[in-house]
Amino acid sequence: MIIEIWAAFMVLFGVLTLIVYNVRNYLQPIGFEYKQVWNLDLASNQDTTEIGSKLEMALQRIKSYKEVESASRMSNNTPFSASTMGNSVTYKKVSVGADFYNTDTELSKTLDLPLIKGRWYKEGDMVAKFIPIVINKQMEDKLFLEESALGKVIKWDDKKSFKVVGVVDKFKAKGEFMSDKPALFQMIDKDDKWNSNVLIKTRPGTDANFEARLAKDLAVMLPGWGIEVTYLTESRKNRENLTLVPVLIFLIVSGFLLTNVALGLFGVLNLNIARRKGEIGLRRAMGATEGKVTGQFLGEIWVLATFAMLIGLIFAVQFPLMNVFDLDSKIYITAILATIAVIYIIVTLCAWFPSRQASLIHPAVALHEE
Amino acid sequence: MIKLQNVEKVYRTSSIETLALNNINLNVKKGEFVSIMGPSGCGKSTLLNIIGLLDAPSKGQIEIDGSPVERFTDKHLAELRNRKLGFIFQSFHLINDLSVIDNVEIPLLYRNSSGRERRELAQEALEKVGLSNRMKHFPKQLSGGQKQRVAIARAIVGKPEIILADEPTGNLDSAMGNEILSILQKLNEDGTTIVMVTHDEAMAKKTHRLVRLFDGTQVQ
Repeated sequence: MIIEIWAAFMVLFGVLTLIVYNVRNYLQPIGFEYKQVWNLDLASNQDTTEIGSKLEMALQRIKSYKEVESASRMSNNTPFSASTMGNSVTYKKVSVGADFYNTDTELSKTLDLPLIKGRWYKEGDMVAKFIPIVINKQMEDKLFLEESALGKVIKWDDKKSFKVVGVVDKFKAKGEFMSDKPALFQMIDKDDKWNSNVLIKTRPGTDANFEARLAKDLAVMLPGWGIEVTYLTESRKNRENLTLVPVLIFLIVSGFLLTNVALGLFGVLNLNIARRKGEIGLRRAMGATEGKVTGQFLGEIWVLATFAMLIGLIFAVQFPLMNVFDLDSKIYITAILATIAVIYIIVTLCAWFPSRQASLIHPAVALHEE
Repeated sequence: MIKLQNVEKVYRTSSIETLALNNINLNVKKGEFVSIMGPSGCGKSTLLNIIGLLDAPSKGQIEIDGSPVERFTDKHLAELRNRKLGFIFQSFHLINDLSVIDNVEIPLLYRNSSGRERRELAQEALEKVGLSNRMKHFPKQLSGGQKQRVAIARAIVGKPEIILADEPTGNLDSAMGNEILSILQKLNEDGTTIVMVTHDEAMAKKTHRLVRLFDGTQVQ
């Protein structure tokens, strides 16, 4: 029984850590607006000539539609996509890994990404000595600790250095369940041929007719190119499912295990009570009330559960102590406390009925049956 | 001290009704040593259970110390059993996982006694039955007579006014039986009221009064 409760504790701790982690992330805003935004993925396929200028031409054409409020070019790690681009940057020997996003000067407007410090980069910044970047608050806190990031030059590698011109609050590109990771926006120039995604913020009321017209116009303008439009609202939903499915699977597995523990507990307690009828009768004869008999059996199972969980705790506390998976220790502590509460609730529910049954056995009957 | 008026006990199943006790009237005075005798199945143990508030009569009234107990709550009955009554059973009913002294302490667990107080009273009770040298032993390490002495110590540890003994010598040889009876007699001399169910005519003759049952009816 102790091993069973211990195993349930460990599995539940894992599941609850995952849930607490995701819920904490979910409660934090993603930091940008996606509802009216489409992602246009342009693939040049066999075309290898003047890609940069063709992309720029397409962008200008997109911006010219009255249905379009704003449009920005972006690397293929667009919001809610499966791709990521990560690198580490260094400032005064502090190194931080960050998600890199290559974008143009319009992204802040296209995604309603407000700045809390400084400004978004502009065309003129391209002639400066350092590459202009905008970072998020998380990156500022990790890299510059107490200092302000504005104007600071940070190293990417031996050749490239960035200069921070602005700070945004949050940018959780993979959706609500993503943690608030350090993010860095790097400016791309107009001739860039590698970053071929365009985020389009449409005006309210824009429908699929415009999507068809846009695709048709672009197909004429860029013959042989692949053109794919996805709505960020749909991408977000897909992304959400990718996070929720494993959580659901873990929940089912742990639910199955907990049900087994509950049934086992219930069976063992019933057997235990059947074996101890004489003792129950004796205790009632000696002055135990029904409540005290119930309390005794509940107390015994709580002692067992506490012992099993103490063993589990030896393992569980290693996670926050050793900073496993680089998670905030508060996540593990919350998960531990929630696991303890759930295990106590389960054992109490399972023990309650047999314990109550035990207390209701008539003392004369119980004494006679031994 | 104990008063039973027109007590009747009927056991009912879906098809059968069994009259276990029929119109029992009994008055046990303070300090009396009463024995209940009768053939097997005549209702002796049922009567003792009713006197001990372990079972409720189907009809009739019971008074303990002048208080009718019919309307007592479970809590009140439990308190009455704990404070006023001590039980001794034929099969001892000791808990094998507990040591002798822990077994003796059981009634005190249901009072607001401190651990130290419980230990002292249990030691005192074990000394009275001559088992102070077996306190740390477990029931399985004791003889039948010793087990019954532990059960007596458990019955007297809370200093009850009444002891109810259900064939206390039934599982013992005659020498052991006499030893147990002499302990009970000593307790009675010290003022404890005792009601004892027995099969043994000789034992019953050593008590103050004999109540005979036959087929659930009081014949003497």
